[in-house]
Order: sequence, then C-alpha cells, then structure tokens
Amino acid sequence: MSVTHYLVLAAILFTIGAVGVLVRRNAIVVFMCIELMLNSVNLTLVTFARATGTIDGQIMAFFVMVVAAAEVVVGLAIIMSIYRTRRSASVDDANLLKY
Amino acid sequence: MLSTYVPIVGLFALAAAFALFSVAVAPFVGPRRYNRAKLEAYECGIEPVDQPLHGGRFPVKYYLTAMLFIVFDIEIVFLYPWAVANDALGVFGLVEMVVFIGTVFLAYAYVWRRGGLEWD
Amino acid sequence: MTIEAPDLSLAALAPLLFVFGAACIGVLVEAFGPRDSRHPVQVAVALVGTLGGLVTTVLLAGTREVTAGGALAVDGAGLFLQATIAGLGALSLLLFAERNLDPARSAFVVSAAVPAGSVRDRELLTVQRVQTEVYPLATFAIGGMMLFVTANDLLVMFVALEVLSLPLYLISGLARRRRLLSQEAAVKYFLLGSFASAFFLYGVALVYGATGTVRLAGVREAVAGAEGGTLVVLGLALLVVGLLFKASVAPFHTWTPDVYQGAPTPVTAFMAACTKVAAFGAILRLLYVAFGTEEWTWRPLVYGVAIVSMVIGAVLGLTQTDLKRMLAYSSVAHAGFLLTGVLGLPATGDAAGSGLPAVMFYLLAYGLTTLGAFAVLTLVRSGEGEATHLSQWAGLAQRSPLTAAVMSLFLLALAGIPLTSGFTGKFAVFRAAIEDGAWPLALVALLASAVAAFFYLRVIVLMYFSEPAVDGPTVGVPGLPTTIVLAVTAAATLLLGIVPGAVLGLADRAAIFVG
Repeated sequence: MSVTHYLVLAAILFTIGAVGVLVRRNAIVVFMCIELMLNSVNLTLVTFARATGTIDGQIMAFFVMVVAAAEVVVGLAIIMSIYRTRRSASVDDANLLKY
Repeated sequence: MLSTYVPIVGLFALAAAFALFSVAVAPFVGPRRYNRAKLEAYECGIEPVDQPLHGGRFPVKYYLTAMLFIVFDIEIVFLYPWAVANDALGVFGLVEMVVFIGTVFLAYAYVWRRGGLEWD
Repeated sequence: MTIEAPDLSLAALAPLLFVFGAACIGVLVEAFGPRDSRHPVQVAVALVGTLGGLVTTVLLAGTREVTAGGALAVDGAGLFLQATIAGLGALSLLLFAERNLDPARSAFVVSAAVPAGSVRDRELLTVQRVQTEVYPLATFAIGGMMLFVTANDLLVMFVALEVLSLPLYLISGLARRRRLLSQEAAVKYFLLGSFASAFFLYGVALVYGATGTVRLAGVREAVAGAEGGTLVVLGLALLVVGLLFKASVAPFHTWTPDVYQGAPTPVTAFMAACTKVAAFGAILRLLYVAFGTEEWTWRPLVYGVAIVSMVIGAVLGLTQTDLKRMLAYSSVAHAGFLLTGVLGLPATGDAAGSGLPAVMFYLLAYGLTTLGAFAVLTLVRSGEGEATHLSQWAGLAQRSPLTAAVMSLFLLALAGIPLTSGFTGKFAVFRAAIEDGAWPLALVALLASAVAAFFYLRVIVLMYFSEPAVDGPTVGVPGLPTTIVLAVTAAATLLLGIVPGAVLGLADRAAIFVG
C-alpha cells in the first residue's frame, strides 16, 4: 500500500461527505456528512505525517478530533432546539428566511 | 530486555487478583436485596426498543448526557501524548497540563452547577 | 531525552490572556454567581476583559515578535487588528447589555431550551429575567478573533476559527422575539459554517502534505523553493474558500443575509463588525506571509471573487425590502471593496505596499460604521420587536429627527460619501489597487459603489421625504449603553472622514507582518 492509496481514499471520503452535505435533506445527516469530511481530513493528515516524516500531522489529528467533538455538541444543541419546535429536522422546512 | 515487561506482568497479576478478590468476597459481605429490575437482561441503561414505549419521543436528557459525555471524553485525548512524553517534557509540560485541566474543570463546574448532571 | 520548552512571551500574549481570562471568569460567574446580580457582573467582567485587551494591545504597540513556539506572530498589523476587534467587541457587548429598549428588558431569550411557541415560552416572553450566558460566549468569540489575526500557524488558525465560530453559531439563535427565525439562522449558519471549516481544514492538510510544515514562514520557504506544485495550489484554494466564507465574500455569501436577518440585532452588529475584521486579518496574513511569493496563484482568484462580490452585493442589495438584509448585502459588497485592497499587497517581503494599511483602515472604519447602523436598527420598534421593514421607516425623520440624522450619517458613510470614514477607506483601497495596476478592478468597484449608493440613499430619501404611516413604529429611548455606542461610532465615522491623517498614519506604521 503506497501513501497515494490513503490519500485517494481520503479524497473520496471527503467528496462523499461534501456531496452528502449538498444533497441530503435531514440536518442530522448533513451534519454527519460534515463529520465524515473532517475525518477524511484526519486520514489525510496522518498519511502526510508518515509521508513527510514529521509529527505535526498526528498532532493536528488530535486537535481536529477535539474541535469536531465541540462542533457536535454545539450543532446537536442547535438542531435539537429547532427540532423540538418544529418536529422536523429537514433543512427544506427551514424556509422562513429568504428573499 | 524482558525485564522491561516485569511491571506489566505485575500489573496484570494485581488486576486479576483484585477482580478475583472482589468477586469472591462480594457474596459474603454484600447485602442481598433482589428486585425485578435486577433480574432483567439489562440491569442498567435503557431497554432496547424501536420506538419510545408510550409513543412520543425520547426525553431530551439522553441527548444532553450524550453531548456532555462526548465533549468531556474527547478532551482526554490530550492527556495521552503528554503522559507518554512526560519525562521529556518535564515541569513545563506539567504546568501546561494543569492549565488545560483547569479550564476543563471550569466547564465541568459550569455543567455541574447548572444542573447538567442531574437526571430529573 | 528532553524536549525544549517553547519560548512563551506572556507580555505579547497579554491581550489574549485578558480576553480569554474574562471569558473563563464569566463561565465561573454563570456557575456560582447568584442569579439576581449576574447581569451587571457579567457585563462588567466582559467589558473589563475586552477593554483590558484593547489597552494591552495599545501598550504593546511596536512589538514585533514571534512567540509561543512560533505559533503566534505579534506584529504591527496583528496588534492593530486585535485592538480593532477588542474595541468593536466592547461596543457590541454594550449593545448586548442594553435594557431600556425591549419591554422585556433584553434582546435575548430567557431560556433557549424552552421550545419556541410553547406555553412556557409565551410565559417567559414578558418575564424580565435576562440571559447572561451570551456575555462569556461573546467574549470567547472575541478572544478567538484576536487569536485568529495573530495566528502564525495553520493549525492555530483553524483552532481560532472554531473558537470564534462556535459561540457565534449559538448566540445567533438566542433572539427573544421571532425565535423561529433566529433558530433557523443558527442552523443555517452552523451547517454552512462547519462545511466551510471542513474545506479550510482540508486545505491545511494539503498544504501540510506539500510543504511538510504548517508554520506560515515555513510554507513560504517551501513554496518559494517550488516544492509541492498542484497540492499547494489546491490547498491554497481550499484555505481561501474557508476564509472567504467567514468574510462573507460572494459567491460564499449565501448565509449572510439569512443569518444577519434572523440573529438578534446586537449579535448581527457584532458579527458584521468583528467577524469581518478577523476574517480579513487572517486572509491578509495567509496570503501575505505564507503565499506572498505565490502571488500569481491567488491573484486571479481574488480578482475574480472581488468583482463577483461587489456586483452581487450591490445589485441584490437593491432588491431588498428588509433593512437587516440590505445591510447584509452591503456587507457582501464591502467585502468585495476590501478585496480590491488585498490585491494591493506587495508581492515581495518587507516593502510596505499601500494595500495592507488601506485594508486595515477600511476594516476599522467599516466596523465602526456598520456597528452604528445596526445600533440604530435596535431603536426603531413596533409591537412585535424591531421594525426592520423598509416601509416602516417611511417618514422617520418627522418622528425622531435625531435618529434619522444619525442613521443617515451611517448610510452616507457606507455609501462612501466624502467627509465620512467610508470615503477615506474606499479612497485608500482603490488607490492601492490602482497603484498595483488593477485599475479595471477599481473601475468596477467605483461602478458598484455608485449602484450601492443608490440603495443607501433610498433609505435616507424614505426617512426624510415620505409621509409616516399612521401605525408606524416608535423610536425607543436608548439607555446608557446604546447611547455610548451611537456616540462613539457616529463621532468616529465623522472624525475618520474629516481628519483621518492620524489613524491612516498609525495604520501605515503598523502595517508590518513578521513570521
């Protein structure tokens, strides 16, 4: 397995995540897609850490994990508060604000 | 070479001894009060059901607990590299870690005082 | 083996320590302070923190230092922007603290956990209890912004980006009135914001992979040595996209009008003023310090994006009927004007180009003016909260000549009319662009300014030359906090327009990046 394989896998995961954000309708699923993007970045980071022989990438992966956890908490709180009011987590229903 | 692993073997032995001791002693010294809940398949946690039992939704408390767990759980990740490199980092690392844990405790104090840890 | 402890200059970190310290104390006050006295204490703590941050940045003036193991660059430009953020942040906190305007004595919801529209929610609507968690949250956001503009390392930049964003997502969902709109704004801001930070992060990973380092100076060396190639370009593009999103530059602006409209107006003011400064600070540092030698890679991108942003902001601003949305599109257009200044950055090392000080001055001037404009919006109210629809502002000058006059001043400044700070700022950035040979861009910018001026002037005409509606809005009497904000921003808007020399000179002297 060369480094490239990991990078390509990470790029594919990132793309799946990005496409998911754009096409899925449920806010929770959109959010999970964003987490997928972050985790694919983690894979890229540790791969590059190995490829370049530096430790920075692994350290960054830790920070990304922590930041992602904080994001989960904030995001779930926001989505939950809107769900409790509307009984729906669909981003299509969130349409009060527009032109 | 192998002597490096002696402490680990010792730790295993200690852990096993503690577990055996606890299991062996508990029936003799512990009180026994049976009730229905204790005889169920899952003694703790929630019964696995597809839908909330009486319709409606799961209480929001589960989310709150899960979110608090995630955020405090992940903070621990910074302790591992520090623990591994503690000797090399010396006092500076210790001070930094105390500062870090201190800020985490700030958040903990907030959650605790505002009732985030109470179930009811 | 021992690892060398990184050098840590506490003096250079003092502004950040002040602000983050205040935020931590704010959390403790939330935890242990008695409920009745929490509000004044929180306001005091937050103001002491931000003003302390402002004072320490002023005391640090002239420092040029890379500290914290190379992770932070405390330099002239960084300190200037830090001071701008701390000052604007303190003014925004004063808007948060206003208690005279809303009949329920606060613009923030009492308990965000209560579902909007429920019985309990309606009970709480008129209760005079106040939400105090917004102060530590806003202080954390200010701290994150101040860290953002001094980050000398892509990882620190990412962490700072999140530290500033996460509290903003939360406080934009905390409006007391029109809670559904506010919550929707929070969800949109959060989903799009984290989408953008994922792009930024992927950019960090690619640049790291190509250059083997995340230090901005290290990246520059590697890039100058022509390592990396495609990966660097891809990484740079992703980084810039993430930052342009935060700066609400079109075509990454779609969240801006929705969030500006839905968020509580003091929070909108805070976002419009401070986030813009922070995002542009980071853009300048990234492009100038890390990719200064790769000028030809990002120049066309910024050139195109600047044009799109100015045109979209100006044209869509024309069609708006809600003042908050209109100011949001104005913010998009101004982001485009700022980017014309970014293009005036010198390509090589230390030579002081006129772009950097111009952008710094523009950020200060725009921040003060837009903060003031949103502060005026909080004054004009109808039964269900703020009256932000354009038609409700008809004939406002007859109801309250002073409010109309102050609002006109801010709108004229946003339009860039001479003798206001907006004119000085625009003149500076356009001159920088022209000096750099980007005169077609400056031409587009002038045209866009003219179009944008139309919708600002339309509001002024409406206020002065229309008959007021019978059931029109009332103009509230602001308490001390909002009065201070209005006085400071109006005075600054005039002073920076009439005698800008001192501040322009300061920006010129401060316009230095180390790292």
